[in-house]
Amino acid sequence: MAEDGTSGAVHLLCLAASSGVPLFCRSSRGGAPSRHQLPFSVIGSLNGVHMFGQNLDVTLRSARTEDTAVVWKTFHDSVTLIVLSSEPGCSELRLERLLELVFGAMVLLVGLEELTRIRNVERLKKELRATYGLIDSLLGDAELAGDLTQCVDCIAPGDGPLLQEALAGFAEEVGSVFASLVVGGRVVVGTEGWWRLGSPEAVLLPWLVGTLPAQAARDYPVYLPHGSPTVPHRLLTLMLLPRLELCVLCGPQPPLSQLEPQVLERWWQPVLEPLRACLALAPRAIPAGFSLHPDILGLLFLHLEQKRAFFTVDLGGEEGPSPRTRRRLLRSFYVLVTATHFPPGQQGSRLPRECRVGSPKSLAHVSLFSSEAGSSEEKAEEQGCPTGVPRACYVVSGAAAKGPEGREDPGAGLRLVAIQAGPRRLLLLVSPQSPTHALRGLATRTLHALTPFL
Amino acid sequence: MFQIGRSSIIPKPAPRNLEDLDSVQSVLMHSDLEAEWSDSVQKYGELFYLELSDNEEESLLSEIPVVNHVRFSENEIIFDEDYLREGRKYEPRLKKFSKILKSRRLLPKRYKKKNSNGPVSILKHQPTQKMGIILQQRYKDVSVFVNPKNAMVLKAKEHLKLLEVLLGIIHQTKWKKRTEGTKLVVHGLLPGGPAMKSGQVLIGDILAAVNDVDVTSENIERVLSCIPGPMQVKLTFEIANARQKEASQPKQKKAQTTSNDLVRLLWGEEVQELQQNLQSIPHIIMYLSLQLDSETLKDEQEILYHYPMSEASQKLKSVRGIFLTLCDMLENVAGTHVTSSSLSLNEKLVHVAYWKEDDKLLLIGLPAEEVPLPQLRSLIEDVAQTLKFMYGSLNSAFCEAENVARLDHFFNLFFQRAIQPEKLYSSTCTQSYDASFSLFTDTLPGVQWLTLPQETQMEIDMVLNDLEAADFAELSEDYYNMRRLYTILGCSLFFKGYLICSHLPKDDLIDITMYCRHYCLLPLVSEQRIGHLVIWREVFPRHHLQPASEPDAQVFQEPEGRYFLLIVGLKHYLLCVLLEAGGCASKAVGHPGPDCIYVDQVKATLLQLEGVEASLDERLASPSNPSLSCADWFLPSSRDKLESLTSSPLLTKLQYTSRAITSPSSRRRLFSDYSLKTRKLSPSRSNGGFENGVEGGEGGGSSPYTTLDPLPKQGAKEAQSPGGPQASSTLLKVTKKKATLPNPFHLGRQKKDLSEKEMELFEATKLTSGTENTLFHYVALETVQGIFITPTHEEVAQLNGSIHSQLIKNFHRCCLSIRAIFQQSLMYEKKKALNVEGNSESPHAASSLSPVKEHGVLFECSPENWTDQKKAPPVMAYWVVGRLFLKPKPQELYVCFHDSVTEIAIELAFKLSFGLAT
Repeated sequence: MAEDGTSGAVHLLCLAASSGVPLFCRSSRGGAPSRHQLPFSVIGSLNGVHMFGQNLDVTLRSARTEDTAVVWKTFHDSVTLIVLSSEPGCSELRLERLLELVFGAMVLLVGLEELTRIRNVERLKKELRATYGLIDSLLGDAELAGDLTQCVDCIAPGDGPLLQEALAGFAEEVGSVFASLVVGGRVVVGTEGWWRLGSPEAVLLPWLVGTLPAQAARDYPVYLPHGSPTVPHRLLTLMLLPRLELCVLCGPQPPLSQLEPQVLERWWQPVLEPLRACLALAPRAIPAGFSLHPDILGLLFLHLEQKRAFFTVDLGGEEGPSPRTRRRLLRSFYVLVTATHFPPGQQGSRLPRECRVGSPKSLAHVSLFSSEAGSSEEKAEEQGCPTGVPRACYVVSGAAAKGPEGREDPGAGLRLVAIQAGPRRLLLLVSPQSPTHALRGLATRTLHALTPFL
Repeated sequence: MFQIGRSSIIPKPAPRNLEDLDSVQSVLMHSDLEAEWSDSVQKYGELFYLELSDNEEESLLSEIPVVNHVRFSENEIIFDEDYLREGRKYEPRLKKFSKILKSRRLLPKRYKKKNSNGPVSILKHQPTQKMGIILQQRYKDVSVFVNPKNAMVLKAKEHLKLLEVLLGIIHQTKWKKRTEGTKLVVHGLLPGGPAMKSGQVLIGDILAAVNDVDVTSENIERVLSCIPGPMQVKLTFEIANARQKEASQPKQKKAQTTSNDLVRLLWGEEVQELQQNLQSIPHIIMYLSLQLDSETLKDEQEILYHYPMSEASQKLKSVRGIFLTLCDMLENVAGTHVTSSSLSLNEKLVHVAYWKEDDKLLLIGLPAEEVPLPQLRSLIEDVAQTLKFMYGSLNSAFCEAENVARLDHFFNLFFQRAIQPEKLYSSTCTQSYDASFSLFTDTLPGVQWLTLPQETQMEIDMVLNDLEAADFAELSEDYYNMRRLYTILGCSLFFKGYLICSHLPKDDLIDITMYCRHYCLLPLVSEQRIGHLVIWREVFPRHHLQPASEPDAQVFQEPEGRYFLLIVGLKHYLLCVLLEAGGCASKAVGHPGPDCIYVDQVKATLLQLEGVEASLDERLASPSNPSLSCADWFLPSSRDKLESLTSSPLLTKLQYTSRAITSPSSRRRLFSDYSLKTRKLSPSRSNGGFENGVEGGEGGGSSPYTTLDPLPKQGAKEAQSPGGPQASSTLLKVTKKKATLPNPFHLGRQKKDLSEKEMELFEATKLTSGTENTLFHYVALETVQGIFITPTHEEVAQLNGSIHSQLIKNFHRCCLSIRAIFQQSLMYEKKKALNVEGNSESPHAASSLSPVKEHGVLFECSPENWTDQKKAPPVMAYWVVGRLFLKPKPQELYVCFHDSVTEIAIELAFKLSFGLAT
């Protein structure tokens, strides 16, 4: 095992908790699936230490070396997931959420019953093969942030109401309350019912659609990890345009054959142009006409109650780091902000409150109120007083400086700023030429500008 | 060695005046010929002797009436006569006193030694229990601290009775006819006497017994004359008027507990309340061997040391297999050492930090609630470092059986500090000694430094220099015509827990500070007046014991010597001296104990410094430079108040009192603003702005750790100021100083210009621009010298406000998380420096946040008890910003300021704090 052997790699192990039999192992390196696997002895001892602790009533949660993190998690006392990551900046928060999502993905495709009552390990192994595609995409470098933020990645279409109307009408005719338009794993519009979907499936369903090979139409059985983990539903997908798919979640009715071309045509032909526009919009997420400050290199805009998010790094600005680096920076920053300053418990219990658009102060007032009204126990314990509700934070990254060969570090001096107002949180990646003290103003303005979208 | 009981004549180096000399000598003369601590010296010459001063003893007395001093290393298996002596000394002094009384047949026969806790109260023999509350109050025990030495002086002068001089009780015998054994009615109390200080002795009370010895006017003088030395005495009074006694006793008692607990912990006693709290909290320290001898498979043989034994910790001990396996396996898989793991135990998250050295593994587990993971990792590093400093290596610390008791004590203190620092430290400054504060400052690689006025600093420097020169008679080689025992490498002086002067290299200073931290000495001296503290032990400073990289004739080679740490505490002073044996001094043989001459000399130095104490106190009492604002002033509700405050002379005074000359200040402030603007306009504004500051600071501070001396700068400033004779005198001193110390200002004209500018910045008392001062708090860490600067507790206390204290708590909490990020950056930099050639990973590295060089968080707060339902509470927003300077040497700055600060001011704040630290 050379040192280079695992750097930048993620290994995911799934074992039956009672017997310790490995169900599957997936690895990825540098963002792409890899065949390299951990030796069996390592898998055995990773599971062994966890089991040893469990027998003594001590649950091993995570371990770290200087550059590697390992997280253990057992679900329903039957499946143990272990992830070992040596990606730079890997954090426990990210890995824990990853494991939850992976288990969600397993339930989504196999069903909870199969996983909790393992009768035939070999059969389960075979069934779990279906999840490999989805799980590999979760391990790898995605363009989306849903795996980390637990929010649905969205696109703000130019003609939102028009599409919304068409979707609602279509769903009614088909007889389902769950319908949405998905482009490359991002939701363009969804029915009210769709947005009410529970936590893992709301993220997983678009993600799944994004990872499946392109097909004109599908009828795919899925379990809903939150909503109905034991009774399967049908996920119908219809490709309206290349990469743009219409998803409908329904029971035994209607059969796929009922969705005749006429029905589709009637509803979607009139809005063909807006649909095309959506397609072009896909990586940018926000309308083309919407102008942002040129210094902004990337943004992650979350609505924590609606569980929706915009995540984009395609905002122009050819200079600066590559899109992939930008995405990674924003993700790391999200982890930092969530883990240290805006703990996730904070927003969960907060009552939804309308945020008025106005001066920053009034915004702050509203949000402060709401946080006080529903302040979680955790926070109350920690602070016991309203002093120090974090509102914003920023990071200046990169030590400035040229390397010994005079080479400029690509990440030098980049600024990242996060601002929280009510249920909304905005994270920006800003180019080095923007002065530090202007960051907050920039973020506040951008937040206000984006507020209509979410 | 050549200590011939001649401590009465201590030739003092360069006495300032005769009075000084007199006072020093007289004090020394009054001390026993044989030093009090000489009995407490341990087998290996180690000594930890702590005696509180009069006042503190008094307050402590109410809690534990029996103990005067206890040593804490438990290895008593010493040579026979030593052991006997030890045993005798081990008894609390009260007993000793009783013994003396007994031997003089003064002790009534009913005195029986029933339990080991101390003499039985005479009251127990009286049937008071049955008679209800009133009768129980007929007698009261008052513990006072008496010091016959002080008293002798008085007595000789005024021919007073012992009753008056010792206890401060006036009893007029003339009023009554002298009869056999009249009752000792308290007719009056001497102001400042122990009886009055206790606050429990009332006029009209009748003194019935001293230390359970019945006294009358007849025998009182004889009884009192038997008091051998400074000690606590229990006085039993018959209460004249039972009702009068309500008083505020219980309150006082409560307030005192905490500080006393610390002392008791230090003395190695079990402190019930403190221990009980820890019982249920899972925490552990283990030292495990990774190499198992499979031949002798014994249970738990891999455990070389562990602490504590509580049930919650047993569980952690039982899963040590996890730690061993992880340590082994993950190292194979990942190629790097395991640093930590997290477990949940009874629904509680516990972090375990690893420290691997050779084939041994040191583990510390603490609950996440108490200690976040990044801090735990610095804690374990500190522990390992301190143990190495104390014992040479972890192996020698843990593997020697005789160390076990000391380690138990060490880790008892460690866990108390880590888990409930607020309980351990005094209640007087609870608000600043909250958990996050102590966690934050404890893990900083530095010690809090107090900037001092020029003259004071000079004086202290000179006194310490004199000590270090070590050319007093006994220490000079000519005197006895033999080599001196030790060379004084340097010393550092603490006052009330702040470092005020250090003549030690940074590494030594850090080592010594960490030692002091682990034994809670700094909080101890800050809160209590220490009567006498002597610590002596052999130490292994890393700075001196590092193996030379290559034998080079040009480079100075550290002599193969041995090193000893001598800490002497007196009142609020703590003087740490690092001694070297071998090298120029004679080689140390065996385990030498503390040498009287050195101890006395250090003590004399401290006594000499007593004169400075007033100016130090004054410095502590005066508002800080830069001045701070109280957060409460900024809340809209108290807006009008603020307005009045800013315009009132009070605030202006706050800003200016620390400076004598006010007139140039406006000019200076203007200038500083101006210089700042020019900087702002410079092209390197956004990115290079900080670097600019760094370079500026380089001029000021990077003279690679010579002596810790911020003064040249200040001195030069003073020299510039138009001034009277005082200024000119300081000028003289300054020039003298400059000659002896490497001064960055001599480096060149260019640099000087820059530094002058810096100096102007340094001058400004108000950091922020605009009409209002908006700086709330700051911490500046300087790693070159191993110091940090932050407003003193006194300063924080001055700005007393409900919001403000909360804000500071939050500030420290936030600093902890910011610092955790900076630590990652530092680690990243270190790594980058290591593989500078093969940086194939650089594109990867760019995608993580490191290195972070600045991190700020905006908080909002509102008053705690907002009763007005209709109106929304006013909101105040403030920033906590940390900045990391990597060059020339890592420095960290944390500031907390109001949101309304202009951008320029933020930069200024950074530069100024920077100027402070250099």
